[in-house]
Order: sequence, then C-alpha cells, then structure tokens
Amino acid sequence: MEETMKVIVFSLSGQRFGANIQQVISIEKMKEITKVPGTSSFIKGIFSFHGETVPVLDLKERLQMEQTAQTDSNRIIVVNIDNIQVGLIVDAATDVIDIEMEIIEDAKAMGGVIHKDYIKGVAKLANELLILLDLGRVLALEEKEELQEVLAN
Amino acid sequence: MAKVLITDDAAFMRMQLKDIVTKLGHEVVGEAENGRIAIEQAKELQPDLITMDITMPELNGVEATREIKKLLPGVKIIMCSAMGQQGMVVDAIQAGANDFVVKPFNLDRIKESFAKVLS
Amino acid sequence: MDTDQYLEVFLDESREHLQAINDNLLRLENEPTEIDIVQEIFRSAHTLKGMSATMGYEDIASLTHQMENVLDKIRHHELEVSTKVIDITFSAIGALEEMVQSVSDGNDGKKDVTALVSQLQELENGKVATTEVSLEKGEELPSLSIQLDEYQSTVISQAISSGYHPYQITVQLNEDCVLKGPRAYMVFDNLEKIGEVIKTNPEVEEIEEGNFENTFTLLFITSESKETVKKTIERVSEIHHVELQDVSLEKKTEKKENETTQSSEKGKQAEQNKPKHSKTIRVNIERIDGLMNLFEEVIIDRSRLEDISHRYHDQELRETVENLARVTENMQGMMLAMRMVPIEQVFNRFPRMVRDLSKELHKKIALEIEGSETELDRTVIDEIGDPLVHLIRNSLDHGIELPEARKQSGKSEEGRISLKAYHSGNHVFIDIEDDGAGINREKVEAKAIENGLVSPENSKHLTDEEVYHLIFASGFSTADQISDISGRGVGLDVVRNKIESLGGSIEVKSVPGKGSKFSIQLPLTLSILSTLLVNVGNEKFAIPLSSIIETVALGDKDIKYVHGQKVLDFRGHIVPLVSLQEVYGVSGQSEASNSAVIIQKGDKQAGLLVDSFLGQREIVLKSLGNYLKNVFAISGATILGNGEVCLIVDPNALVK
Repeated sequence: MEETMKVIVFSLSGQRFGANIQQVISIEKMKEITKVPGTSSFIKGIFSFHGETVPVLDLKERLQMEQTAQTDSNRIIVVNIDNIQVGLIVDAATDVIDIEMEIIEDAKAMGGVIHKDYIKGVAKLANELLILLDLGRVLALEEKEELQEVLAN
Repeated sequence: MAKVLITDDAAFMRMQLKDIVTKLGHEVVGEAENGRIAIEQAKELQPDLITMDITMPELNGVEATREIKKLLPGVKIIMCSAMGQQGMVVDAIQAGANDFVVKPFNLDRIKESFAKVLS
Repeated sequence: MDTDQYLEVFLDESREHLQAINDNLLRLENEPTEIDIVQEIFRSAHTLKGMSATMGYEDIASLTHQMENVLDKIRHHELEVSTKVIDITFSAIGALEEMVQSVSDGNDGKKDVTALVSQLQELENGKVATTEVSLEKGEELPSLSIQLDEYQSTVISQAISSGYHPYQITVQLNEDCVLKGPRAYMVFDNLEKIGEVIKTNPEVEEIEEGNFENTFTLLFITSESKETVKKTIERVSEIHHVELQDVSLEKKTEKKENETTQSSEKGKQAEQNKPKHSKTIRVNIERIDGLMNLFEEVIIDRSRLEDISHRYHDQELRETVENLARVTENMQGMMLAMRMVPIEQVFNRFPRMVRDLSKELHKKIALEIEGSETELDRTVIDEIGDPLVHLIRNSLDHGIELPEARKQSGKSEEGRISLKAYHSGNHVFIDIEDDGAGINREKVEAKAIENGLVSPENSKHLTDEEVYHLIFASGFSTADQISDISGRGVGLDVVRNKIESLGGSIEVKSVPGKGSKFSIQLPLTLSILSTLLVNVGNEKFAIPLSSIIETVALGDKDIKYVHGQKVLDFRGHIVPLVSLQEVYGVSGQSEASNSAVIIQKGDKQAGLLVDSFLGQREIVLKSLGNYLKNVFAISGATILGNGEVCLIVDPNALVK
C-alpha cells in the first residue's frame, strides 16, 4: 500500500505552497478583522469564526515575502495546530491534492524564497515543485526575533 | 470474506483499520471520513459490515448508525470508541450498533468482534 | 485527534485515581486496619494498571502491578500496614504522578521504576512467600450473591408456576475489557430480548456505569433453555466466562443465610452497591460545555434582536425581546450554577503535599482546610491549582520556621497553615495563612533595590504593605535565590499574573514574627460579563461593569495637568486619566474624547478617556486563545450582536 498525504494547495505572491490538510479546519472568505493592539505586525487581529474569536495571521508577512494587493480571491485558512486555532491569510486557496509520500524530499536543497525552518519538505510533482510548509513552525512565535536576525545578516 | 466500509475522520485510524481488516481476510470496499459520507457509501456499496468512529464532523457515528440501520437493517455496525465514551457507546447500541471496540485497536479484539458480529 | 481525546481521558482518569489513592493512603495511615480502604486503593491501582497497559505506558503498568501485589497481600491479611508500606507506596504514587505528568506534557511517560518495584517486591515478600496462592485468590471468580425482597420472590414463584425458568447468571468480562459499562449494557440488551432481568448485583446503574471489578451477577427469568441463554450472552464480545445456576425458592432462603454469614468485607461492599436515591444525575462536562456554547450563541442573537427592536419601534417586538432577555437571564444563572464545582478537588492534593514537604524540610506543619465545599466555575478551578500550590509551598518553605527556631521564639513546634475558601458577593475568596516568621521588610527592600524595582530613597517612603507587595513584582525573584520547593524556577509574579488573568487579585498581609496571610479574590464566573460598550476612534471596546464606579462627561475645564499627566478632579480625588486611544493605538480621528469611565482597583482609581458610551451589554467572554498571550490591558474578546468582534478592556492593567 503506498502512503499518500492530502495536501491543501494555496498561493502566496504568485507561488504555490502546500500544507497537510489534517491541520485545516476550514477555508473562509475574507471577513472583518478586529485589530489587537500591541501584537506583531503580521498578526492582523481576530475574527469571528463559528462563534469563537480566532487570531488571524498574514502568512506572506509571516514568511517575510513581498506583499501583493488584496483581491477577491483572498482566503483565510483556519488551521488547528496543537489545539490552537489560527487563521492564515493567503492569496488564494486553489486545490486539494493527494501526494505520495515517496515524492516528498527534504527541504535542505531548496534555497531562496523562504527560510528552510518553515519548510517540511518539497513534493516533486509532474510540472512543479510544491513547497510543503510546516505550519507548526510557521506559528511558533518564539523564533521570530531570532529568524529576523538571521535574515538581516 | 465480508465487504467492509471503514468510517473514521482520522486518516491515520482508517489506515490502521484497513490494515487490520485486510489482515483478517476481509475486503475494504470503501472509506468514509464522516457520518454523512458513510450513509452515502453504505447505500452505494452495500457493505456487510461497517466500522464506525463515534466523534466525527458533519454527522457523528451514533446518528449515522441510526440512519444506516433504517436504510439497511441487515448491515452489521461495529463502533470504534475511545475510553470514556460510555454514554455514546450505549447510545450507539440503542441506535442499532452490533458491537464496539475500543481504541487503540487490538488485532485480537477486532478479530473477535468481527467473528461474533458476522456469525 | 481521537488519540488526543483518548489520551485526555486516560490522563483525567489516571489523575482521579492517583488522587483517590492519595486520599485513601492518608486515611489508611490513620486507620491502618481498615481493609475497606485497602480495597479502594487496590481498585484504583488495578484500573490504573489496565489503562496504562492499554496505552502502552509500561513503566506505569509495571509499577502499579507491583503495588497491586502488595495491596493484595494486605487485603488478605498477609501483610500489615506499616509506616514503611505507606511511605513506599507514597513514593510509588509520586513516581506515577510524574509519569502521568510526563505523558500529559507530551512526553513518553517513561521513568526508571526498578528501584521502586524492587522495594515493593521486598515488601511483598517480606512476610510469607505465597505470592502465587494469593494471586490466584485475587483472580478467582466469586459469584456475587443476590438477595431478594418479597416482591421479587413473588415474581419468581409466579414465573416458576407459569413454566418459566429463573437462573442466576454470573458474567465475567475479559480482564482487559475497557468499557465495561457498555459491554454489560449489551449483555442486558441481548438478554431482554429473551426474558426479564429481575435483579442484579451490583445494581444495574452501577453496572452500566462500569462500577464493578470484572464480574456481575443477575437474576433472569426466561422460557429459554440454559444453553440458549448462555449462547445469547456469549454473542457479546469480551465475555470471559458465563455461569448459569438454577434458582429455586428454597435455595434462595438458604442464600439469605449465607449472605449474613459472609465476611463483613463483602457485606459492606454490597452496602456500597445499594442504589443511591439522590435526585442528581451525572452529566458529562462536555455536554455542559456544549450547552454553554449554544447558550452563548443565544446571548449573541439576543443582542442582535435587541439591536433590531431598537430600530423598528414595534411594541410587540420590544416586549418579546424584553421577555426573552428576562428568560435568558434566568437561564444564564442556572447554567452557570451547573458549571460550579466545589474547590475540594483542588484542595484535595494539599494534605499529601504538605505531609511530604514538611518531612523533606524537617518541619512540623499542620494543614487546616476550611470551606472546601465552596463552589467556583470549573474554568477557574482548572486554573487555580498551580498558583495555590505555589503559595502553599511558599508558606511551607519561607513562612514556617524550623521546630527549634519556633521553640526559641516561644511558639509551639508545630507550625500551622490554614487554607480557607468562602463566598462573598460575586466573588470567591481563598486565604492562605501561616503562623510563621512573617515577611522581613528589610530583606524584601534590599532585594527589591538590588533588582532595581525601587530606589533606596523611594523604598523608605513605602508603607509595610507596599513593601510586601513588591514580592509579586516581576523581576523580584531571581532563579538562584529560589529554593527547589517554593520556586520551581518561577516567582510570585507568575502567581499574580495567573490570578489576574482569571479576573482576580491577590493581596498579602504580614506581621513580623506572627505570620503572613495571602488573600486571593476571584470572580464567581468568567464566561459571561456585564460590560459598558464604548467607542474609541474607529473601534469599540467593552469595559467590565464590575470595575466601573461611574461614567462622567468632561468639559475642558475638568481636565487638569499634574506633572504633564492628565488628571481629573473627581469628587475631591485627583484621578489620573488614561486615553484608550493612546493605550491601544487606535486609528481614526477622535473628536476630543470628552467622556470618561472611572474605574477602580483596590483603593486606586483611574479615568478612561473614550469618545462615547454605547450602552450596557451582556457579553460572552472569549479568550484570545493561547496564540495571543499577554496582550497588554486586554482580557479577551467578544462577538457583538452584529457579528462584529470587540475587545474587552482589562481595567486592572490600567490602574496604576
């Protein structure tokens, strides 16, 4: 039996990324977000989701990618990681695909756009390389300062 | 050899169950990730036996069991419960479930359950 | 997700059983001959063993298994309860608690338990070497006898005369059967298709709750043969053994006599199994939480309706909405009452903790507990344990002196710590008082100066109380000065933060040489708040009514400046003014904030500058979640009637 993983595919600044769908609770259209003072700039605030208030992050800003204008296709992907619900703003959520575990490779080889700490692996699809994000790491706040230092160097 | 439909919202659990069921010499004809899908699949695939997780999104296992037993009174349903779900298990049996097994799964236990339910 | 849930249950139940063993061991220490207590400890250990084995926590399983062996000997009078037995069992429990905690922290729950296991083995083999015999005894199947009342005897005699067979059936489930209650339910369910269950031992309710070892007995009337009945039962999974006996009425009277001559142990057990005719039902906390969540949605819809009815000026609509408001208010009261839990379950663990720590510290300490029946919202209960542990450890470690020192200062050698909970108004108070040395002003001052919390000049002007309060300041304790016991590496500022995050406050009083008293004040409930909704720039904020003294409209003349700080002369008091727009960096132009909300914390006040008041609202408090921790001066968020999310001001943080 070959092992596969279901992956949600979304785009950020024109590039496609994937994340394990098991962590995804819902995909929402953009809603009104209430700012929370005194938090990091990539935390856009909180929004109302199924009667709960859930923090929302701008994923592009979190990953220190270049910003693009907001459009109608923007979505909030609500994920649950270690029992913490968080919404992630993406440019568009495009697809759900099955990926065979075999074709997922270590991220070390990938240079460039995103710090490798945030990458779980890279899936070699027929016509593209899909970067699979490690959402747990993306959400970890402690590393932020450290990372900024690294990137500044 | 019985035709088995596996219902569980966790892919991990479905995988594990599929393994066990296949080992026991039965055929897994379908997998459903919530109660609603299980009802659809049951109608379409006409399985002999359904394993049914209790806590699932959309429609939980107890309600799904109730519906399926209305549609297909002959199908055997084994609930997959977790420790501490006594109340739900009893609800499920009242809804028509034939047996239950407790997670984490134990091959012998499932073997016994299948044997009893299918006899 | 399911494994998490499973794990949670495992953790909950393990903790419950460990607590039960703890309590019972303490009782047993005082009444070493009470075999009933040993029975209960045995049961808990047994359950723990089963659960941990299923979960694959082998170290927990092997330790509980060895505990079980020792306990088994005790309950069969082959081993006496000595201090050594108690001490070793306590250390075993300690190790189990650590392992369970490790599992709870997401670790593997492994621990080297060989030393403890061999200690227990020594205990077990200390006296008679009849392990196998006693084990077999433990596993043999005693068919629980059934006592019949007159009505049931009549039913049976009628059944016999109309050709039915009464059987006494003993069902033994597999040792590793996890959900015994539902399993037994299936047995009943199957049997009821072919006959009638007249009586069971233990009572049906107990059986269906799973409150029995592995065996239960029932009296069954049917027209079917023994063979059929047996087969019917065996169709259920996880049945280890079924035994059927004919019942005749003569036999029954014989049985009655037997029953009376049986060991007192069993008699008592039967007594415990008598039905409890209390008018309470047990409800899974998840269901109450679910109900609460639904109710919160109703509250949100109610405010939506209130908004609508204000807009439409329809008499009937208004009356209906008003009535709905009344009804939901009553519902809310009841719902909150359901969530209330006695603080006992937090206090429970302290006798044991004090006992162990006083031994370790070579101090003599008596713990007095009062008001453990005081009820608090479950959310608060879940959170208040750690701070209390911390404060009690603190009293033990720093408060109470060593016996010699106490004698020298003319006190009794035994120190006293009292823990007291009580209700007052909308609050619950918890006091932790000791008769130790009290807080040393000079030491606190010196340390605060050293850590830069206060300047040497300023410290002279502080009252004793203000100095004592410095121990809660963050940065007061530094890790190297904290002993292992009270510290755990964190300072009292963590305690204060936790209590404040629960909407409470903490104070300390102390008399040198006489002792100290920590008083915690907590709100009765957390989830639904009365608030004042205000406008600040483009945003809305909710301010809890409980902190508000008054709202005032300000003229330009009312605002004065003292050392560059805006203040207000409020009834002869100078009250500092805080602009919410500045504190929260709210955008949007604010037309000269000309309204103030006067809030109070302790005996201090502050005025919060806002643009306008939107009126009073009942809101449902939603936490900002684990992701957004410690947002300054924000205690949570809520969803308003129109679906808008609005932040809740934490007044405590704004009063200086």
